[in-house]
Amino acid sequence: MTASSPGAPSGTGRRLLGLLTPRPSGWQTPAATAVAVVAALALSSALITLTGGSPSASVQALFEGSMADWTAWTSTLLYTAPLLLVAVGACVSARSGSFNIGQEGQVLIGALAAAWVGLRLAINGPALLVIMLLAAALAAGAWAGLSSLMHRLRGVNVVVSTMLMTFVAQQVVAYAVNMPWLLQESRVGNAPVSPQSNPLPPSGLLGSFGEYPGLQINGGLILAVAAAVLAAVAITRTPWGFRLTMLGRNPLAAKHAGVRVNALGGLALAISGALAGLAGAVLLASPVGVNRLQPGMAMNIGWDGLLVALVARNRPLAAMPVALLFGVLRSGGGFLAATGVPSFLVDVVKALLVLAFVAPPVVVALARRRRSGGRPAGARREAAPAAEEAIA
Amino acid sequence: MSAADDISTILSSGIRLTVPLAFAACGEYLAERAGTMNISLEAMMLGAAFGSVATASATGSATTGLVAGVLIGLLIGFVHGNLAHRLEVNTFVVGLVLNALVLGLTSYLITISSFDSHQVTQVSVPWLRDIPLIGHPLFVERWPVYLLLLIVPLTWWLVERSRWGLELRAVGEQPQAADVTGIRVNLRRRQALLWCGALAGLGGAYLAVGEVGSFNQNMTAGRGYIVIAAVIFGAWRLGRTLLGCVLFGLADAMRLALPALGLTMNSQLLVVAPYLLALVAMLVFTTRNREPKSLGQPFVRGST
Amino acid sequence: MTTVDERARELTPPSTPALRLRGVSKRYGPVVASDNVDLDVNHGEIHGLLGENGAGKSTLMKILLGLVQRDSGTIMRGDTPVAVRDPQDAVALGIGMVHQHFSLIDALTVWENVILGDTGRIDRAAACRQVEEVSRRYGLPIDPTARVERLSAGERQRVELIKCLRRDPSVLILDEPTSVLTQAESAELFTVLRHVVRAENRAVILISHKLAEITAATDRVTVLRKGKVVFHSPTGDTTPPELARWMVGRDVSLRAEGAALGMLPVDGAAPSGDPPAQTTAESPSGAEAEAVTPAETTAEPAAGAGSGIAPALRLRDLTVVIDGVTVLSELSLDVAPGEIVGLYGVEGNGQSTLGDLLSGLVLPSSGTVELTGRPVELERPGALHRAGLGIIPEDRHSSGVVLDMSVAENLVMKSIGDVSGRGFVSRRKMHAVARRLAAEFNIVAPSLDAPVRSLSGGNQQRVVLARELSAGPSVLVAAQPTHGLDVGAIEDMYQRLRDAASEGVAVLLISTELEEVMALASRIAVICSGRITGVLPAAEATAERLGMLVGGVAA
Repeated sequence: MTASSPGAPSGTGRRLLGLLTPRPSGWQTPAATAVAVVAALALSSALITLTGGSPSASVQALFEGSMADWTAWTSTLLYTAPLLLVAVGACVSARSGSFNIGQEGQVLIGALAAAWVGLRLAINGPALLVIMLLAAALAAGAWAGLSSLMHRLRGVNVVVSTMLMTFVAQQVVAYAVNMPWLLQESRVGNAPVSPQSNPLPPSGLLGSFGEYPGLQINGGLILAVAAAVLAAVAITRTPWGFRLTMLGRNPLAAKHAGVRVNALGGLALAISGALAGLAGAVLLASPVGVNRLQPGMAMNIGWDGLLVALVARNRPLAAMPVALLFGVLRSGGGFLAATGVPSFLVDVVKALLVLAFVAPPVVVALARRRRSGGRPAGARREAAPAAEEAIA
Repeated sequence: MSAADDISTILSSGIRLTVPLAFAACGEYLAERAGTMNISLEAMMLGAAFGSVATASATGSATTGLVAGVLIGLLIGFVHGNLAHRLEVNTFVVGLVLNALVLGLTSYLITISSFDSHQVTQVSVPWLRDIPLIGHPLFVERWPVYLLLLIVPLTWWLVERSRWGLELRAVGEQPQAADVTGIRVNLRRRQALLWCGALAGLGGAYLAVGEVGSFNQNMTAGRGYIVIAAVIFGAWRLGRTLLGCVLFGLADAMRLALPALGLTMNSQLLVVAPYLLALVAMLVFTTRNREPKSLGQPFVRGST
Repeated sequence: MTTVDERARELTPPSTPALRLRGVSKRYGPVVASDNVDLDVNHGEIHGLLGENGAGKSTLMKILLGLVQRDSGTIMRGDTPVAVRDPQDAVALGIGMVHQHFSLIDALTVWENVILGDTGRIDRAAACRQVEEVSRRYGLPIDPTARVERLSAGERQRVELIKCLRRDPSVLILDEPTSVLTQAESAELFTVLRHVVRAENRAVILISHKLAEITAATDRVTVLRKGKVVFHSPTGDTTPPELARWMVGRDVSLRAEGAALGMLPVDGAAPSGDPPAQTTAESPSGAEAEAVTPAETTAEPAAGAGSGIAPALRLRDLTVVIDGVTVLSELSLDVAPGEIVGLYGVEGNGQSTLGDLLSGLVLPSSGTVELTGRPVELERPGALHRAGLGIIPEDRHSSGVVLDMSVAENLVMKSIGDVSGRGFVSRRKMHAVARRLAAEFNIVAPSLDAPVRSLSGGNQQRVVLARELSAGPSVLVAAQPTHGLDVGAIEDMYQRLRDAASEGVAVLLISTELEEVMALASRIAVICSGRITGVLPAAEATAERLGMLVGGVAA
């Protein structure tokens, strides 16, 4: 998007905020959401039934794969951690008025940086892990920051540039694992070499609390929950969060009030990238994968994390249960195939659920406006000052 | 093989890879001129690809499959249009969700079904096909390719010369002004999305029942995003957008031909070219492009 | 039925009614925007529709244009009831509107804009021919192939008129048409309107909140208040004070409140010194005494502004270039403590940019801003605020308030550090500050936690004013501070500005309302095409001289 005048904010971002951030509403929105969720689940069941599967068996399989025992819970939480990290980042940038949709690429860049550091630095001990996480956050933060820079210098729309950069990131990682001098795995004898990195050294792995077969809580989850709580406090309680909210709701007023609009907006985008990058490092270093950098390792965590934030309406704390739900669907999805229902079903369910959460508030607001005659709220009250009560 | 044969082969494959992009680009171009940044293009192409193969298998006619693809594109355009330009759900969110939904749904369905292979017939133009180098690539093609000869000028005429197009452009630029003038802004945007859906559907269906003859999971593999990159690269001009499609198609053909040519070049640069070129175009042409001023912004009467 | 007919006969003497409204009502939720409105507009006359902001003028017009649907009532063309479901219906019925804002598409050419909203095939040659024809007939020269984005405000107005007249409307509606025009351009407009009415027997509805314009240009006048028709008369049979009374609903002194109603200060009232002080001198009756007293203390510094006292605000050679266009050109202006300086000009001559610059939204390409003798580092965010400049921005919705944040949050927006401790915002401190300011500035709101969006325009503006004055500024810039407010709120704003000046604040009033600057300012600077074309003491400022300066002619 071309800025029409210096300092003009991205119109898209501004408009988006109105739709994405929590707004006061009555009982209609929860009611409509409940109806929509039921409809989404009904549609999913219908799909299973029509294709010869059994909805109850599918639910059973989802449950077994995600919650039936501690092993299942462990697996669920392993998916929850990166999803939550991505979602928290998405909340921060959306609150600032920038809509970052490039998390899938930022996850990969984070994983790339973490892998590079983990495999190249010959450090033993916990320092390596810390440096890996930092490298992931910095690299992915800078990657997302590029979009902010492009917006600032040339008015390039952030949504579009973060989206395009995702595909660039995928090829950067593909390149890295195809180049022996970069990160491609070492050749052992005459064995064929795959496009992946060597496995991380043990000191570069995220440990877990708890022992198999009990519940294991991976360090990644602790990181993610800490990030969510921190972000929630920072956004709602600190002057920084106040400025961020101001920037998101009305960038011109924020600038007028002395907020460093470009710096803060860029920072918010970089934070969202950095958290996605951390998610990448967690994917790499936790037992959810094979602890090697692989081009496909992001597994749509970036896209899904974005959907988590959408469902949570950009509230970091609300993102925690939603991320858990998405984690359940992911880890349960693997068990579906055994019942004759392809695991892709969970993708359908997820998309329908997101729709069920995203559409109702907008529709309710629209219906309210239609009822009141098509005028925006401000204009309506303009003519009715008498309806207000004095507070003074 | 001679160098000329190599070039002809790459051209040939490049054109085949360009055609689905070009169909979809005509649609996306029109939708964006009307103000919708339609990222559900990927869903339209993928859904249509699946629908066309399923229908072709059921009816035994690839052409019927092609029509079904167009209808599925229309359906997705209809859903997107109504969610974004009637219910006022943010258009990017709608796009993300539709992409996820269609990818999940087609992946699900293809895993539990199997389809017969059908392809539309090939046309070979006498005389012209014997032109050296370009003869075979241009004049021995599946027949829907030649629909482009109709659709490209039609798209141009619609946008630049028809009253509908004038209104679309007004709606993409200043929807508030268009509204006051008596143009139904969101209706025009929904209509533009239908056009976009139909053409993206044609592109996706062509990919499936035209080129490949079957469907595989995530078969469009991000082609929708490439088309969006092409429109950006083309700075919202139809000619340049199509040029972008040709460039991106050729880059893809090059990538596929690398092993056959015995080149040990890394393919990533070719894969990434469309996105990089689009980014560069946005950085370079900012003042000279025709980006609609209200691209991606919802229209709500009374807000300015 | 008979009563309606009788009334109709009584209101429409010889000429035939072009348009009749009977009992038209429209509610928005609890608010009645249009209340049982009867209106007759005759062929061959200019009908003035007068009313305050929010009186229901625009709702009525939107109903006529099919942009809004009425709840009840009848619209008749001649004697036939008609339906106006959408703008196309309105066009078919011969109702055309000249919009002031948001109706031309910049990226399209003149002829494309003119045919926008028609139906059928596009014929470029025919369209251009029609544009030229209409433009010749009414003396509105324009190049049909020019892109609208290149046109001046006056030229855009011509395109609007041509677009409307080409459709040969029998009823022509103009909504606040002169706000973006110079006096010369306004004169051109009224010449065309007179021709349209007299020679072509069309009907014209002129919507305005300016008394002067209505009394000068119309044949009949209807006054709306709170959605109701409260007064109706041939313009010649009424007087500005009578109209003002109907408009506001109480007796008003045109001397004191005329500016708020769009009237020039009454004869000879061109103030010799400080206008409020002048009011004192001229209203010995003390009718509006409360408006006056504080001003006397300011007469001294204001008078001395030109000599001696160091200016609190000093703009030096400010040049702003946006997208290659020079919007402000070497603009210099001083404002002394206790003085109100008016910067007057027609909309679109650089005032908005100056306001943006003083809001910290735009940087000058050259030139400096000095506050109390010290240059301000404009590139540092918030520097102007810290240096003691408060500002009421021109468009409060775009940069003055954050509509979706609460009243309390908006009040502390610029001083969030002051209500925070140990890294956290203290809601207790925030509410304490907000409660104090709300009381002090009479802000009426459902609660301090209610979003500013839920406040009336006047109260939103008070939120801005309270926030800006609470920082104890040495300079207050008020850009179009009364835009969109009703008379009560306007009067309140005037009083606050006078009070601020009397307390020693240097006030820069940026306004497009001639009446406003003449009533408030002790010196008036005129801006045209981004330059100051002249600075006059209020005593020497007459409407004529200002009018010439506004048109770029040295007076």
